[in-house]
Amino acid sequence: MNNDSGSKPAVRVRGLRRTYGTGHDAYEAVRGVDLDVPAGSITALLGTNGAGKTSTLEVLEGLAPASAGEVSVLGLHPVSDRAEIRRRTGVLLQRSGFSGDLTVRETLRQWSGTLTNPRPVDEMLGLLSLEDRADVRMLALSGGETRRVDLASALMGDPELVILDEPTTGLDPESRREVWRLVDGLRERGATVLITTHYLEEAETLADRLEIMHAGQIVRSGTPTEIAKGHPSTISFAPRPDVPEDLLGVRRVIHEHNRTTLETSALQDSLTELMAWAQHNEVRLEDLDARSPSLESVFLAIADGRDPDPSPLEVGSL
Amino acid sequence: MDLSIKRTAHLARWNLVLLTRNRLAFVYAVVMPLLPLLLLLTGDRGSETAGASAITTLFLVAGLFPVYYNVLAQFVNRRDELVLKRMRTGEVRDSELVASIALPGIASALGVSLVAIPVAVAFGQELPVNVLLYVAGAVFTVVMLSAFAFWTAAWTKSAESAQLTSLPIILIVSFGPLFTSISGLPDVLRDLAEFTPGSAMSEMVRIGWFGLDGPDATKTTLDFAETWSVAAEPLLVIVAWTFVAISLAKRSMRWEPRS
Repeated sequence: MNNDSGSKPAVRVRGLRRTYGTGHDAYEAVRGVDLDVPAGSITALLGTNGAGKTSTLEVLEGLAPASAGEVSVLGLHPVSDRAEIRRRTGVLLQRSGFSGDLTVRETLRQWSGTLTNPRPVDEMLGLLSLEDRADVRMLALSGGETRRVDLASALMGDPELVILDEPTTGLDPESRREVWRLVDGLRERGATVLITTHYLEEAETLADRLEIMHAGQIVRSGTPTEIAKGHPSTISFAPRPDVPEDLLGVRRVIHEHNRTTLETSALQDSLTELMAWAQHNEVRLEDLDARSPSLESVFLAIADGRDPDPSPLEVGSL
Repeated sequence: MDLSIKRTAHLARWNLVLLTRNRLAFVYAVVMPLLPLLLLLTGDRGSETAGASAITTLFLVAGLFPVYYNVLAQFVNRRDELVLKRMRTGEVRDSELVASIALPGIASALGVSLVAIPVAVAFGQELPVNVLLYVAGAVFTVVMLSAFAFWTAAWTKSAESAQLTSLPIILIVSFGPLFTSISGLPDVLRDLAEFTPGSAMSEMVRIGWFGLDGPDATKTTLDFAETWSVAAEPLLVIVAWTFVAISLAKRSMRWEPRS
């Protein structure tokens, strides 16, 4: 395993565009993505469904051509250096399939024979807790078990770079944690991992770096803390149309979803003033909630298309 | 074609395993092409016409079922189940995937064509006049029909619709030899029919094995040396169709179901 290229990114993408269809039906799913995945890191590409994550990955995987832009994977070109890249990468597709008439063990043996340096089938069965299901035909497996076989295949070649497209979608919480453990294990082996997810918890738990994607573009980059930093804190309570809008630090007051929400850049100051106003006017704020910026609030703001103030947040972006 | 023999053979073996686990596919790929051998029991023992009709039928069935229809169905199935998409994320090359899907059917068809020789001899037929021509006919037939299978797959939506989309090729291949053998037909039609892949296939058998000179011949008249010049035309026709099929297939390969 090669982990000495600390400065050189394992994946480098510049100005990537991908368009489906032509003419009037043309749809641009990826609209100028720049992305660096540092070698040895776990980088999460986070976004809602339709943000362009899978379309981006398919170009990195060499499965689809880019309409424009430059892509290098392990310093190589995904299409012209395909054979070399494939030896060194493991890919888990968001949706893929198996021949139902083969057993789990046979499926892994079939895959193993196509790899240059496969890890033993039994080791993979153990790693993915599939020993008990080894002799069961694929068509009899649950969705989660099938996903684990898929993961076993992706990791069998002992890859330097692992691309996982929504590895835990459809898994129960226990299997999800098992996948997290595996991904952490990959880090310890020195591998680089690029993972997509729409689960915030997953991204926060696993990733060293986040790339938040929306409408075909990367709109935020950085560590989870960096991304949340500079994003407004929120104070919310049962609807009060009469709440003053000029409290210290408050940037915006939103009345929606049967709730009043204050966005503030100075949570403590705003809260103090709010409490003072409430006491003075003998107002009781029902269901009061105050919270520091979280990845969730950033993500939801982006997903809703009300990305409030991106300028101070370009922390880790390039 | 860039291809690792080891990986291709490995995958072909697993495709064979899968074939044995699907009863219908197995019948199409292995049992069907054996049935025409029974035709050797009909007609006068040792008659060239009976022999030629049995072996051309065997060629047709071996080409259409284990190769054409089977390869088409397997490819469409694997594509729709996203097995091919997953395989393509690994070290396997496209050429290896294509070859490994075609190989079990090809092996079955070629195997049956060879088994036919001792079986026919046992039923009173002569050994092939020119076995090289007979084998060349078999090899071009399986390559051509595999390529037609991949081309057909490109515009076949699902394994079920393959029952329909396979019809044009099946009809063209089966009716060619029929037309050439109907005597009352206008010459233009008969001449045209000679250029169909099916006619070329059956002429290769009639000339290569039985030394029959032309579609109407009923008695062996050609010797080994003469078969070469008479077979030149059907050989050219089948080689041309093989190239057409390969170029159509190459241009239309599709690895994922239409979304």
